Amino acid sequence: MDISTIIAGLLTLTIFTFLYKDNPLYKMAESLLIGVSIGYVLVITWTNTLMDMLFEPLFSNAELSLIIPLLLGIFMLGRFSNKTVALSRIPIAVMIGSGAGIAIPTMLYNRTIKQLSASVMPIFTDSGGFNISGIIVIVGLLATLSYFYFSREHKGKFGVFAKLGTYFLMLFFGTTFGYTVMSRMSTFIGRMEFLLSDFLKITH
Amino acid sequence: MQLLPRHYVFLGLFLLIGITMVLDIPVDVDVSPYTKQMYAYIDSIPEGSTLIISFDHEASSLPEIRPIALAVLRHTFQKNLKLIGVSLYPEGTLIGYRLINNVAKEYKKTYGNDFVYLGFRPQYIAAILAMGESIEKTYPQDYLGNDYKSLPMLSKIQNYDDIKAVISIADGSLTTHWIEYGGQFNVKVLGAVTAAMVTTYDPYLASHQMTAMIGGLRGAAEYEKLLGMKGGGSRGMLAQSAAHLYVIFLIVLGNIFYFRSRKKRGTS
Repeated sequence: MDISTIIAGLLTLTIFTFLYKDNPLYKMAESLLIGVSIGYVLVITWTNTLMDMLFEPLFSNAELSLIIPLLLGIFMLGRFSNKTVALSRIPIAVMIGSGAGIAIPTMLYNRTIKQLSASVMPIFTDSGGFNISGIIVIVGLLATLSYFYFSREHKGKFGVFAKLGTYFLMLFFGTTFGYTVMSRMSTFIGRMEFLLSDFLKITH
Repeated sequence: MQLLPRHYVFLGLFLLIGITMVLDIPVDVDVSPYTKQMYAYIDSIPEGSTLIISFDHEASSLPEIRPIALAVLRHTFQKNLKLIGVSLYPEGTLIGYRLINNVAKEYKKTYGNDFVYLGFRPQYIAAILAMGESIEKTYPQDYLGNDYKSLPMLSKIQNYDDIKAVISIADGSLTTHWIEYGGQFNVKVLGAVTAAMVTTYDPYLASHQMTAMIGGLRGAAEYEKLLGMKGGGSRGMLAQSAAHLYVIFLIVLGNIFYFRSRKKRGTS
């Protein structure tokens, strides 16, 4: 068994001790996880971002246009002092401006127009029968939207329809919760498989 | 339920999963239409075509992501498809490199000819858009420091026009960005995601903005069944079923205690 498996196995068991109660061993493993993760991200950011995309092209290949992002990056550090904080607003403005410029039309198209058009389905199928799922989708969509329409009091027929919307929402939340439980169980099972096969060699 | 300390609940789950995994009784799973769709799509891609496989996840979700990623990687290498590995999350970079290398060894695939690993690029939206213009400009070098042009399988790859599909292996919303920003270049996007993200991507699948998806350990088990092999997904199915029954049992038990205590409060 290699040393990395032993360390991983012991740390997994240490993390599991939290299930009994909080303890110094768990805190050590937790701090180690955070420290290693941040350290790894810093190294990757330094090598793959700053070196590969900025310093090497700028200083080795003389790509002078990269002086602009370099300056914007330096300005961002202005936030650490009250005297230079105004400088940091320039890169923030660039990021928000360009980010919004790219994101707004894309999101409007993909999350609104495309989704809306996918919600409108034919009522009848090709064989002449009712498209039940299509009807459920459109009723669910309209009922849920009604629930979030606050310009009219939720009373009478409109109130009943808005109430129906809450049931669709509950169905969504229930499904999402079920999948999330499944996901967390899968993570635990994956870790148990590592412990039982690689670390303790009980299973193969 | 307050009488039952929480560590007994955890201990019960720990023992249940431990015992079921040691027993290792095979559980037959029905393959869902989602998984069939994913399998059929990858199966229909002509041999020698190039795919991008993006490791868009963190280290914490590896126990769930690993069986999914392995099943998809095995299928692509079985089909002799060429793979370009990338990562849009720093933490997924090394994990992706190891996974793709391990599966490549199983199928005797060679680096540079059958697969390459380009590594991490920051600002995922910018990276996805930039690859649409030129993959070489986005990644002048691969993860190992080789020049893009020195890698034989990349010699004819300019941008998404030369890519059959992108497979995003994700534990979060990054696949959404592949769909929305990669979609601008008409690239097909397939998702191999954690179970928690299935409901997020369902609407994209229904609107055909996403081509196919498999989700969670269950998805991995179904995919392994289609591949005719046993892996982490199928090995975990008995434990997962037992764990779900345990959760249902706890919910029922909790409700019985709740209604009994409410009744008692009502009578007193």
